[in-house]
Amino acid sequence: MSQSTGKVLFEMKGIGKTFPGVKALEGVNLTVREGQVHALLGENGAGKSTLIKILSGAYTKDEGQIFLEGKPVEIRNPQDAEAFGISTIYQEFNLARNLTVAENIFLGHLPRKGLSIDWAHVKQRSREILDMLGVTFSVDTPTSSLSVAEQQLVEIAKSLNRKTRLLIMDEPSAVLSEKDLEKLYEVVRSLQARGIGIIYITHRMKEIFLLADEVTVLKDGRYVDTRSIANVTMDELVKLMIGRELKDVYPKRDPAPGDMLLEVKNVSRSKLVHDVSFNLRAGEIVGFAGITGSGRTELVRSIFGADPYSGEMRIAGKPYKPHSPADAIKHGIALVTEDRKAQGLLLKLNVTINTTISGLKQLSRYGVIQLAKELVLVKKFIQELRIKTPGPEFIVVNMSGGNQQKVVLARWLSIGTRIFIMDEPTRGIDIGSKSEIYQIMDDLTKQGVGIIMISSELPEVLGMSDRIMVMREGTIVKELSRAEASEETVMNYAVGSQSGANLAHA
Amino acid sequence: MSAVVSKVTKRRSGVLDILRGSPIMGPFLALIAASIFFATQSDKFLTGANLSLIIQQVIVVGALAIGQTLVILTGGIDLSNGMIMALSSVLMTGFAVTSGLNPILAILAGLLVGIIFGVLNGALITSIGLPPFIVTLGTFNIAYALVRIYTTSTITNLPPAQLFLGNTFSIGGTEITYGSVLLLILYAITWYVLRSTPAGRAVYAVGDNPEAARLAGINTKRVLTGVYTVAAITYGIAGLLLVSRTGVGDPQAGQTGNLDSITAVVLGGTSLLGGRGQILGTLIGALIVGVFRNGLQLMGVGSIYQVLITGILVIVAVSIDYLSHRGK
Repeated sequence: MSQSTGKVLFEMKGIGKTFPGVKALEGVNLTVREGQVHALLGENGAGKSTLIKILSGAYTKDEGQIFLEGKPVEIRNPQDAEAFGISTIYQEFNLARNLTVAENIFLGHLPRKGLSIDWAHVKQRSREILDMLGVTFSVDTPTSSLSVAEQQLVEIAKSLNRKTRLLIMDEPSAVLSEKDLEKLYEVVRSLQARGIGIIYITHRMKEIFLLADEVTVLKDGRYVDTRSIANVTMDELVKLMIGRELKDVYPKRDPAPGDMLLEVKNVSRSKLVHDVSFNLRAGEIVGFAGITGSGRTELVRSIFGADPYSGEMRIAGKPYKPHSPADAIKHGIALVTEDRKAQGLLLKLNVTINTTISGLKQLSRYGVIQLAKELVLVKKFIQELRIKTPGPEFIVVNMSGGNQQKVVLARWLSIGTRIFIMDEPTRGIDIGSKSEIYQIMDDLTKQGVGIIMISSELPEVLGMSDRIMVMREGTIVKELSRAEASEETVMNYAVGSQSGANLAHA
Repeated sequence: MSAVVSKVTKRRSGVLDILRGSPIMGPFLALIAASIFFATQSDKFLTGANLSLIIQQVIVVGALAIGQTLVILTGGIDLSNGMIMALSSVLMTGFAVTSGLNPILAILAGLLVGIIFGVLNGALITSIGLPPFIVTLGTFNIAYALVRIYTTSTITNLPPAQLFLGNTFSIGGTEITYGSVLLLILYAITWYVLRSTPAGRAVYAVGDNPEAARLAGINTKRVLTGVYTVAAITYGIAGLLLVSRTGVGDPQAGQTGNLDSITAVVLGGTSLLGGRGQILGTLIGALIVGVFRNGLQLMGVGSIYQVLITGILVIVAVSIDYLSHRGK
């Protein structure tokens, strides 16, 4: 598997980039060979994004040199990058949603035949590329009707059509469910077999050992080291990345379930959720596992009053019928949304406003916000949750994922939430912030808070949950205790595979 | 070559950084620069009487722009404001002069009709989910028609109580109208509400991201209906200021009020995308338009060229704003 010996494709030496007041990158080296998967590892803010933006022509470097097959080259803009055969697949796809798959694959490069476009060639070539990737959907499918995983494949097809030699993949697995990961790995390996060099960015350590040949670690904009995967352990990588040893990512849970907090009985929601019943006690973390589309997010949105539902719910024994998120919040329920940027944060507003927006009534006297009191509260949370920000006035859009998530947590903590619903609480967050968020979750349960956690990362489900509900096709198919659960059993129930059925009978 | 390019880029981003720091810094500096320029061109410009005149000239648009700012902060737009003002003003004068209603009650009746239009705007936008542009385009036409149905001739001989805001008091020899003072008070109240009340924060939150605001527990429909209603109150007050300034109830009034008020809001650094902007910026924006028109007039530039320059100003201001926020 190891491709540490192939022909050198791209080489970056001593790359530096300065923004006003910030040295974003300094002395970064990176060598990618033909047919090599080179993982790029680092916490949020380590400089990974800046580096790939330099390679893809979005930024220009201030220092250092880039070599293509040994010859020095300058990448001044995205057109240069494309000419050198560099393609980037960002987390947010660059697809025209209303166009078909074939049109997207050829977007900006539509071949002419006389005065019109050579559609026959477009469709035929698109089909060839999709076949190569082992994809079955039609080239005439509108992109908007594809799943996230399928859209990602269209992005990959796009880059193949441009004769890509170096493919940069920015956290391709972050947007996928467990089920779709195997397909992604398969595709990455097939690209590798075609001699394409791949820079692969991920926060999932397991993936690095599964896919990569070499790994380069960045920290605080500086180059730390490049290692061959054969000669490095996960612990060593974590140490290189965060500069200290991370003993346990997951806190040692010592659950002591208390009073009944939330009872959910026969809750349904049109076609998405069927007849779901479960309960949550004080001090518990109940994990919800399942593949994308299994109805987990839809279920918790109903519990939070964000969407209509039928069925019965009780909080601390009393009937609970939420008609809006405001109702739910009054009952001490909080929802940490799956999509932080689109649903969780007020991105263009500052840390203070984002922190106190749900608790302004408590902070007001005679209908006026006590600004001094508010500032004290916000500063307290910045300190307690170790939120990295220049100050309470800082606009949250410019913060890293981990710190943004802490602002969301601060919002709900500031109003004394008793029931936390966390939908993918650590998605797109680096490992250091992750373990801090796990620690916060553990501390909360010790204070009698109950947590419902949805996660598509099985290690997280297994590491944090006291009980695990596995959902499939809108309903809970199995409840597993912490002791019963393993990645395999959870996955089998989640996809409803034959082996899962066998296990159930065993 | 590339070193030179990068140096220039760096210096430009430095200037833009300052503008980025506070959204009203740019408009404020523009207002100061324009004032200095006109002061060098005309001795009359910096006199107390002329400055008081500028304020009187922007008073009506200034009042309309308060409501417009609130609406734009929520990510909406209000095309109906000038016509709501016109309807309020002909009704309040008409009720007093033609129907013989008590002048104060007539004013309240005029304001009430304006408020009904605001509630209508808000209800249509929140209950059916129609775009604000379409809803207010419709109510613009409805209000326009109602004005002309009510009267096509100018209402004159207004009772003194309706002209009170046009009266003046003197500070150091400069005559100042009570209407100017009322306008400044309205701006101060709006500034305070936006900055220091839960309702003000909700306006920004809804404008930034309605779904995130809803999931944070904000009743977004109530916020939007409230904003269009409060905005309509400012349009009614604009109508009263208009009446006190012109001394008549004019059925021809208000037809460009929507665009004039949007101009003031935009010049004041408020984003048309919602969630970002400050009410004091709008006051500065209105003053910039007033200063340019007045200054050019003093220099003897024809009025059509004043409109031309206002158009250029808007494009320049928005370009600077856009450049300073690009790449974020």
